[in-house]
Amino acid sequence: MLIRKWKKKAIEFCRIEQIEAELLRQVPACCDLDEGSKAETRIFPSPTNTTDPDLLRDWDEYVRPELRHLFRSAKETVEEDLGLLKMKVGHLGRFLVPLEHGEPWLNALNQARLILAAKFEFSEAELSTFDLPRTFSQRELVLHQINFYAAIQERIIEILNMGEDHKGPEESR
Amino acid sequence: MPETAIDTRTEAQVATPWNVVVHNDPVNLMSYVTMVFQKVFGYSRDRATRHMLEVHHLGRSIVWTGSREQAELYVQQLHSYLLQATLEKSEGC
Repeated sequence: MLIRKWKKKAIEFCRIEQIEAELLRQVPACCDLDEGSKAETRIFPSPTNTTDPDLLRDWDEYVRPELRHLFRSAKETVEEDLGLLKMKVGHLGRFLVPLEHGEPWLNALNQARLILAAKFEFSEAELSTFDLPRTFSQRELVLHQINFYAAIQERIIEILNMGEDHKGPEESR
Repeated sequence: MPETAIDTRTEAQVATPWNVVVHNDPVNLMSYVTMVFQKVFGYSRDRATRHMLEVHHLGRSIVWTGSREQAELYVQQLHSYLLQATLEKSEGC
């Protein structure tokens, strides 16, 4: 799969293979949270390490609903963009994401990675490992899924930063 | 009859500076954290990178200090980017 800037107005995902399409399509589902789970605690962390009942009450009442709405909206944007990804047998896939959807994509990919990491309780050491798995357990495959999403995030960040840092031939990659 | 709100906090309480602290997280990418600091605080790439490296190596970084109201707003923004951030009273106050 190749991810590149397209005509200064979109992010092009192209040469997408079947397995990559499948992993991309799983992003929205990976953003679904189980209530009371570790993942939920990570996605909605406390704003303070001390006891501050007033702050915590206000946070629950006013901030969390806003964050929840923002996260849901990012997931829906990704879902909508992925609707344009049509895979035909024997062909590689392609779809375009408007540049302004770059941030919702980063957000949804981050949600997916954080939720998967919390669900499967990956350690910091495991998350920084890029070795090939010795076994093909579900856990090891999920670690690869997390790293696949991280690679997409890195590329989107590069593309979004291009306007600021690079005036060069951005469409060459 | 209109009600008058009386602020009972002392001057010292109102003036106490608050820190916005970002905590290390093995999932968030270094490039992503740097980008978020630039967006939220308007920091230069260098300054944002310094804070990101502090988070990465020391486990936390005080990324901003100032009024409580503004600190709460920054923590909310950082949470919207899924960073682990808290606010705390600045030491020595």
